[in-house]
Amino acid sequence: MTGFITRRVLGAIPLLLAVATLIFIVLDLAPGDPAAQYFNPNVPPEVYEQLRRNLGLDQPLATRYGKWLGSFLTGDFGYSFAQNRPVANVVLDALPNTLLLAVVAIGAMFVVGVLVGVLQAVRQHGWADRILSVIGLFFYSMPSFWLALMLMLVFSLKAHQWGWPIAFPATGITSFDYEFLSPWGKFTDRLSHLVLPATTLTLVLAAGVARYTRGQMLEVIRQDYIRTARAKGLPERTVVLKHALRNSLIPVVTLVGLYLPLLFSGTVFVETIFSWPGMGRVIFDAISQRDAPVIMATSFVFATLVVIGNLLADVLYAVVDPRIRYD
Amino acid sequence: MKQRSPASAASVSLCVALAALSAGCGGDGAPESTGGTLVVGVRSDFSGFNAITNSSQYTDELIKYALFTPIVQYDESLGVRPWLAESWELDGDSAVVFTLRSDVRWHDGEPVDARDVAFTFERAKDPEAASLLAEAYLSQVARADVIDARTIRFAYERPHAQALENFWWAPMPEHRLADVSPAELRNADFNRAPVGSGPFRLAEWRANERVVLEAVEDFPEELGGRPSAERVVIRVIPEAATRLTELVTGGIHVDIDVAPDQTDQIEASPDLELLSFPGRTVYFVAWNNLREPFTDARVRRALGYAINREEIIAALLEGHGAPAVSPIPPWSPLAPAVEPLPHDTAAADRLLEEAGWLDRDGDGVRESENGAPLRFTLLTSDRALNRAVVEVVQSHLRRVGADARLQVTEFQTMLAQFRSREYDAAFANWVLDNFQVGTAPFALFHSSQAEIAGSANRTSYGTPAADSLLEAGRAAVTPEDAAVFWADFVRLLKEDQPATFMFWLDELAGKRAGVTGVDMDPRGEFRGLADWAPR
Repeated sequence: MTGFITRRVLGAIPLLLAVATLIFIVLDLAPGDPAAQYFNPNVPPEVYEQLRRNLGLDQPLATRYGKWLGSFLTGDFGYSFAQNRPVANVVLDALPNTLLLAVVAIGAMFVVGVLVGVLQAVRQHGWADRILSVIGLFFYSMPSFWLALMLMLVFSLKAHQWGWPIAFPATGITSFDYEFLSPWGKFTDRLSHLVLPATTLTLVLAAGVARYTRGQMLEVIRQDYIRTARAKGLPERTVVLKHALRNSLIPVVTLVGLYLPLLFSGTVFVETIFSWPGMGRVIFDAISQRDAPVIMATSFVFATLVVIGNLLADVLYAVVDPRIRYD
Repeated sequence: MKQRSPASAASVSLCVALAALSAGCGGDGAPESTGGTLVVGVRSDFSGFNAITNSSQYTDELIKYALFTPIVQYDESLGVRPWLAESWELDGDSAVVFTLRSDVRWHDGEPVDARDVAFTFERAKDPEAASLLAEAYLSQVARADVIDARTIRFAYERPHAQALENFWWAPMPEHRLADVSPAELRNADFNRAPVGSGPFRLAEWRANERVVLEAVEDFPEELGGRPSAERVVIRVIPEAATRLTELVTGGIHVDIDVAPDQTDQIEASPDLELLSFPGRTVYFVAWNNLREPFTDARVRRALGYAINREEIIAALLEGHGAPAVSPIPPWSPLAPAVEPLPHDTAAADRLLEEAGWLDRDGDGVRESENGAPLRFTLLTSDRALNRAVVEVVQSHLRRVGADARLQVTEFQTMLAQFRSREYDAAFANWVLDNFQVGTAPFALFHSSQAEIAGSANRTSYGTPAADSLLEAGRAAVTPEDAAVFWADFVRLLKEDQPATFMFWLDELAGKRAGVTGVDMDPRGEFRGLADWAPR
C-alpha cells in the first residue's frame, strides 16, 4: 500500500506541472491584462507601461514562464497583482474556509446520499422510493446558484420577515459581533453561518450519490449471498446494513473522489453568493481581474486537492473491498 | 483612477431572480442594539490603503474620509476648505504655501508634519511608483519645498484654475515608508496595516470578508472630533441580492451599492430608507472617428439625435440618472448650461440624407452611394446595465436606418479591444476621480492624445478648434474665465459628437431607518462616515 501511494504521489507531480503550464499559457492567450484595471482617462500610457514593467508583464511569455516556474518550485508564489500582497497569504487566508465548507459538504453529501439511496432500494417502487426519486432528480437538475438563492430567500429573508424561530444568516462565516460572544455562542454562530452554503452544496451532490447507491443496492440485494444471509435467518436490518451496504459502497466511494472537482467548482458560485471568504471567491475575483499569480496558485491548489481526493478514494476502495490489493 | 469591477453575467441574473421573487416584502424591525457598532455592506474588497498607489474608488474614500487626513477637503458646494492645512497663502499664480495644523497625529503618536507631505509628493512623482495620485492631482505641480515642520511650499508648472484642488490627497507617514523603494510601494506591508492620521484607525482586515475601523478618541474637534460610531465593520458581500437580504434582516445597517431594480423594494419597506445622489460616473457611446461611417461628423450627430436618453433613464435607470452632454458633471460649479442633443429622428434622417446615406434598396438600412450599408458593431461589456442599454440604443438607431450589431463581451476583453481602438462604436463609462473640470475632457478629446497607443482618447478625435479650447480652459486662472472656455468646448463637443454622452448614473444606497447621520453626495458614499451612528 505504501508503495502504491508513493507511486501515485510521484506520478501526480508531472500531471500537476502540466496543469500549471497549461493554465499559464491559456491565461496568456486570454484578452485583457491586470494593469487594465486602471482604466480611466487620468491614467496616461506612460503610467500604464510603468505598471506593466513593475508587474513584469512587459517580458515575453517564455521569460515570464521561466521566472514563474523557478520561484514556484522554490515555494514562492509571488505577489498578487490585485491585492498587492503575497499570494501565499491570499491562499492561506481562504483555504481553511473552503476546506471547512468542503469537508462538511462531503460528509453530509455522503451520509444523506447513502441513507436516501438505501431507503429507496429497500422500498423499491414504494411511495417513499418514488417521492424521493422525484425530489432527488429535482435537486440534481437544479443549478447550485439557483438553489443557493432559494435557500437564502426562504430560510434567511422570509424566515426573518415571517418571524420564524430560526432564520439563518445569509452571508459570512461569523457575525460582526463574534469577538464578543461566549465560546458556545461562537460555536453556534459559526454553525449557523455554515448551514445555508453547506446545504446548497450537499443537496445538489447528495442527489447523485443517492441515485448511485440505490442502483448499486438493488444489484447487490439480488445476489446469491444476500439470499443466503436471509436464508440463514439474519434480521433484514443486518442483511441490508452489514452485508449489502458494504458491497454497494465500493463504487460510491470512487464517486466521492470524482465529485471533488464538481464540489470545488460549486464553491465558486456558492461562496460568491453567500459571501464566504474562500478559494472559490478568490479564484472568481482573480479571473475577472486577470490576477495571474493568484489564478495560478489557486488552480494549482484545487488541482492538488483533486489529486489527493482521488488518491483517497483509491485507498478507501481497498478498505471497503478486501479483494482489491495495491502492490 | 477608479474602476468598478464589472459584475459577472451570472451574478446579475441572480440578482434579478431574487429581486423579482422577493419584491414587495415588508420586514419587521431587527434588533439593532450593537453597542456602537455600525455594519456596512460593500460589493468588493478594498485594495491597499496607500494614497500613492491606490486606484480603487472606495479605498480612496476610506483613505480620504476615515483613515487619513487630506491637505484640503471639499465642502458641500464643492468649494475647497482647509483640512490638514489650516491655512494657505497664494504666491501669485506660481505657488502656494500651506500651514499645517499642529494637532493631527499619526495613530502611532508622531505628529503629521510638512516632511510627510513632501515625502508623499516626491514618492508620487517618482515614475517608478507608477502613482495615479501623481497623474490625477500633481501633473501641474512642479516642486515641493519644506520651509519648516508646519509649512510647505508647492510651485506650479504653470498657472491654472482650481489650483488648490491639486491637494485633495492625504500624506503618508515618512517614518513608516521611507525604507520602501518606489517600485515596491504597491506591495508594502504598510498598505494592509496602515498607520493613519484620520478619525478612524484600521483595527482588522480579513481579506474578502471585512474591514474593521475603530474610532480615534482624540481626533481634532475642528475636523469633526471623535466619530459617532465606536466601531465600523465594513463587510464584503459581492452579490447585490445578498446585500439587500442582509439589509432587510439587519445583518448590515447600510448597503453602499444598491441596484436600480432594488429601489422599489427598499422604498416599500418602512424599515429601510433609500439614499440617492448624483454620481461621478458618466456613460457614453464612443464612435471610432477613424472608421467609416464615423469619420463624418454629420453621421455622428445624426446618431446622437436618434438616441432617446430620456427613455433610457426612465426605463432602465428607473429615473436614477441625469442626461449627459459632456464629461463635466452637471453638479460641478463649472458645468456649462448646455442641453444635450434632443431626441429628434427627423433631424437624424435629414443629416444622414445630407451625408449621402439613403435606403436605396428598401431593406430599412441606409446605404452609401457605393452601396455600403450603414452597419457597424456596438461593443460593450457584459454588465447587466450595459447590455440593457445597448439593446435599447440598437432599437433607436434602427429607426433611423442604422444597423448596429451588438458585441457583448466580458469586461477585460471589451477593454482590450476598446483601448487598442479595435472597434466601430463602444458603450462605456468613465468615473471621475476628482472635481477638476479640465482633466477628463483633455485626456478624452485632445489631439495630442489621439495618436498615443492605449491613451484615453479612444475615439481618436482631435481638431484645432477643440485643442485650443481645451488648452485655454486648462490655462485659465480664474474659475469665471475657465467656465467660458468650457462652455464653448461643450458646445463644440455637442456639434461634433466624437462620442454621444448618455447619462450620469445616480449612486444608490440603502440604510436601516434607525441609523442616523448618513448623508451622501457627489463627494462619495463614505464622505460622512464619521457621523454615521447606529441607533
